[in-house]
Amino acid sequence: MASSDGILLKGAPFEDAAAVSSRNASAYRPLHTFELPKGSEKHYAHQFADMYFVRLAQLKEAVKQKAHEAWDAFELAGDKAKYVERVLDVRQGELCWVVGTVYMEMAMKPNVLDDISKEVHKTLLRLSVHAQLTATQHWIAAPPPRQTYVSPSGTDDMMLEDESGRLRVAGNSLNSHYVTGCILAALGTEQADGSFQVIATQYADLPRQPQRWETEDASLTLAKDPMSKREKAGKLAIVSGLDLTGKEEDNVALDLLVEYLSGEAGGPDQTSASSITRLVIAGNSLSNASPILSREEFDVRKGAKRNYGYDSSSYNATPAEKFDAFLSEILPALPVSVLPGEQDPANVALPQQPLHPALFPLSRAYQDPPALSSETLEGLDLVTNPWEADVEGWRILGTAGQTLDDLLKYVEGVRPLDAMEMMLRWRCIAPTAPDTLWCYPFQDDDPLILKECPHIYFAGNREKFQAKFVQGPAGQQTLIVGVPKFSKTGQVVLVDMETLEVETVKLAYVKPRP
Amino acid sequence: MAEERYREYLAERVLAEGQPITYRLLSRALQVHVNIAKQMLYDFHAEQTKKQPKSVHATYLLTGKERSSEHSNGDIGHDGDDTAMRSSPFMSSLPEPENTPESPVRTTSIVLVREEELEKTKIEFEDITSIHIYSLQPGPIENMNLLAVCNQEIASNHASGDPLERWRDYGSIQNRYIKRRTTRYAPAMAKPATKATAKPTAAVSAAKEGSKQAPTVTLRRGSTSEESKSGRSTPQPGPTASLKRSDSETKTKKDASVGNLFKSFAKAKPKAKEAEKPKEEDGLIIATEAMEGMSEDEGDADDEPAVKFDEEKAAAARKAREEREQKLQEMMEADVEMPDAPTEGTGSQDAPIDKETSSQPAESEATVTVQGGRRRGKRRVLKKKKVKDEDGYLVTKEEAVWESFSEDEPEPKKAKLTPKPTAAKGKKTGGKGQGSIASFFKKA
Repeated sequence: MASSDGILLKGAPFEDAAAVSSRNASAYRPLHTFELPKGSEKHYAHQFADMYFVRLAQLKEAVKQKAHEAWDAFELAGDKAKYVERVLDVRQGELCWVVGTVYMEMAMKPNVLDDISKEVHKTLLRLSVHAQLTATQHWIAAPPPRQTYVSPSGTDDMMLEDESGRLRVAGNSLNSHYVTGCILAALGTEQADGSFQVIATQYADLPRQPQRWETEDASLTLAKDPMSKREKAGKLAIVSGLDLTGKEEDNVALDLLVEYLSGEAGGPDQTSASSITRLVIAGNSLSNASPILSREEFDVRKGAKRNYGYDSSSYNATPAEKFDAFLSEILPALPVSVLPGEQDPANVALPQQPLHPALFPLSRAYQDPPALSSETLEGLDLVTNPWEADVEGWRILGTAGQTLDDLLKYVEGVRPLDAMEMMLRWRCIAPTAPDTLWCYPFQDDDPLILKECPHIYFAGNREKFQAKFVQGPAGQQTLIVGVPKFSKTGQVVLVDMETLEVETVKLAYVKPRP
Repeated sequence: MAEERYREYLAERVLAEGQPITYRLLSRALQVHVNIAKQMLYDFHAEQTKKQPKSVHATYLLTGKERSSEHSNGDIGHDGDDTAMRSSPFMSSLPEPENTPESPVRTTSIVLVREEELEKTKIEFEDITSIHIYSLQPGPIENMNLLAVCNQEIASNHASGDPLERWRDYGSIQNRYIKRRTTRYAPAMAKPATKATAKPTAAVSAAKEGSKQAPTVTLRRGSTSEESKSGRSTPQPGPTASLKRSDSETKTKKDASVGNLFKSFAKAKPKAKEAEKPKEEDGLIIATEAMEGMSEDEGDADDEPAVKFDEEKAAAARKAREEREQKLQEMMEADVEMPDAPTEGTGSQDAPIDKETSSQPAESEATVTVQGGRRRGKRRVLKKKKVKDEDGYLVTKEEAVWESFSEDEPEPKKAKLTPKPTAAKGKKTGGKGQGSIASFFKKA
C-alpha cells in the first residue's frame, strides 16, 4: 500500500535519519515595475483623467491594428467598414468602427458623491451638526461592500469614450463582458436614437512575451560570460490568505505549513518539499489590518466616542507578531516574497507598496538592509502588489486579488480564471482602477498597463484553486493560477518551474468528534 | 544517549505533567533528528499502551493522496453555474484554441488526525505515502489547536543557536544561500512590553528559592542575550553615562534585552516623579531595597534575582541600565519623525499615577498550559488600565480609555539548555504575571 520508507511507525532501535536534503538557489530577479516614487516625489494632486488618457494613448495602436486585421475586409450589405478617429465623429447610419475606453454606468456602483450627500443629510437630520461633521471627516470608510455592481433591473449603460466625448453603446449582452476602463474597438452603426449598435469588438490581446531567460541571457552576453549551464529549476510555492487573527484558530494549520516547508513533517515529502525554492505569499497574511475601516467598524467607532488621531489602545500586535514568527521559522531555509493584500497594513491604493520591515523584527534579519538595496534575492523580499519578477527565467505577474474581485463585480456569471485571462488580453491588470478601485494617480506612464506578457499570472485569495493555460496570437502561452485562501482551504499551490506543471498540497486536520 | 533520555523525558512530560508533546518539540528538547523523534514517540506510545491501554493518546500525520471526492478542488472547469466569458459572441474572432483540456491537478494531502479517527481517515486515502505520530498527549485531545502550544514552546525555549544551522541537528531542509544579518534593536523591540510583565515578583520569589538558583539564571540569561543581541553592544555613552564607570559586558547585554520602551518613557519625564517613587516601591520590593540601600528610580522589581547575591554586579547593572535609558531617551528625543508617539506614551502613563484611575493587571492564561504550574505555559497577561487622555486636535477633553495589551509570554531566552532544569522554570513561573504593571508604574 505504501512505500516502507514513509512509514515511521516503528520503535527502537531507531534507524539512522535520512540524509539532509538541501535546496537549490532560486534564480530570482524582481522587477520594480510597481514601485512608486518615494516620499515627496509621490504626488496625489493629479487628476485621474490622465490615467485614462495614457491608457488609451498607449493601447490605441495595438487595438487599431487588431481591428484593421479583422475588419478591413468586412462588408455589410455592400458597405465597407471604415475607421473613425474620434467617437464623436461617428455619423448616423454609417458602418464604421471606433476605438475608445469603456465606461459602465451602473446604478449599484459606489459613488462618492452619493456617499457624501447621504452622510451630510443624515448628519443634518441628527441636528448634532458640528460634532458629527467633524467626526466624519476624521476617518475614511471603505465603500459599501457589494457583491456586484450589476443592477437587478438591467438598466446599466455602457459607453465608449475618448478625449472627444462619449458614445452610448448598445448590443446584446455586451454589458456582461466588458468593464470600465478597458480599451476596445467597436464595429457598428449609430442608430436613430444616437446609440451605437455594436456588431463586433476587438481588443489588444496578449502583448509580446519574453523568452525564458531572456533578460538573463542578454546580460550574460553583454558581460561576455560563457553561457553556464543552469541548474534544473525547482518549484515555486504560492500561498495566500493566511488570515492570521492572533487567536488560537489559525495555529495548527500554520504549524503544519511550517513543518511541511521546512521538511520536517511526513516521510518522503521531506525530499519533495526540498524542491521548493521559493515561497510567494500573495496577500492577506493578516486578517484585519487594513488602515481603512469597513463601514461597520466605521459606524461603531463613530457611535462609540470621539477620539481624534491615532488610538493606540485599539491596536493589537499579536497577528503581526505571529506572522513575523511564522516567517522567521521558514526563512532559514526558504526565500520568501511577500505581497501585501487588501487586509494587510500597507497603503490601500494600488499599487500597494511593500510592507514595512518594521513589522518583522525577527524575520527582517533575512532581508538585505533596506538602506542598501530594495530587493533581497535570497531571504525575505517584501514586494509590491501587483508584483512582477523573473523567477527561474519565467516572467511572473501576481496580485493579491483585489483587481480581480473588483472586476468580477461588474459582470455576472464569469469565472475568475476567464476574467484573469481577459485582463491579460485587454493588457490592463486593473481596468477598474481608478473607477472603483483605489489607485495612485499615475501621470505619464501607467504600470498597470501590461507591456510584456507574463508566463505565469496568479491572483491570490480566491475561493478555490483553479489553473489553466491561455494562448496568444503570436504563440504566447501563459499559465493562469487562482490561488485559494489558505485559511479556508489549507492549500498551497506548487508550480514546477521546469514544466509549468501545477500541483497543490493540502494541509488539514480532522476535526475531533466528541 | 538521547535514546535513554527520551523515555524519562516523555514520561515526565506526558504522564506526570499531562502536557502534549509533538515530535518537533521532542527533537528540539533532545537535540535529535525529527525522524528519530517520530520513532521515539511511537516507541513510547506502544510501550505505554501495552502497559496500560489508553494511558497515552496519539495524533497521526498522514501524507498521501485522498480519494477523488476531495479532488474537485483541484479540478477546473466543471462548475456549472458559471458561463465562460469567452463564449461571448464578441470574442469569436479570437485565434485561440478552445478549451485546452485540463489534466487533473495532482493534490497531496497532509492530514493531522487523532488515533480515534485514524482508521476512518485512512480509508479516505487512495494512497498513503507516509504516516507518523505527530503528537502524544495524556487524553484524547478535543481541540487540535492546542497542539500549537508545542511549537510556541519551541519558539520560546529552543530558539537559541543559529537558525541557519538547525538542519544539522533536526534534519530540516538546508539552504546554503540564505544569509542572515544581525539587526540592531530587533529582539528588544520584539518584546518590550512583555519584559515589564514578566518581571513582577521575580525578585521576591527568587529570594525564596535559595541561593543556588539565582546565579545560574543570571549567567544563562546573560550569555543568551549576548548571542542574540550582539548587534546592540556598542553603547555611546550619554551625558550621564560618562560619569559612571563602565561595567561588565554581560550586564550590558542583559540590559539590552531589558531595554524597554517604557523605561525610556519613564525617564523622559521630569525628575519630579522620582520623589514619590521610593515610597511606592517599598511595599513591593522590600527585600531588594534592604539589600541595596539607596536604590534609584529604577524599580528594582525589574532586576534579576542576582542582585541579592552580588551587590557589585547589581550596582553595575543599574548603571548600565541608566546609560541605556539615557541613550534611549536621546533616541526618542531625536526621533522627529513621529512626534506623537512619545507624547502619547507619556500621557497615557502619567494618567494612572496622577489621577485616581485604576490599573488592573488581569491575568488570563491561554487554556491548556497552566496545569501543574511548574511548566510555564503560554500566558497572556492582559493589562487594563484606565487612561486619561487628551488630544490636541479640536476638543480639549479628557476621557477614560481602557487600554489593554495582550501578548504572548515570550520567555526570557534562556534556551541554552534543554528544559531539563524544571526547577529553574518553576521559579520563573511563580514570578510571572502579577504585579507587573504596578512595578512599571512605579518606575514611571
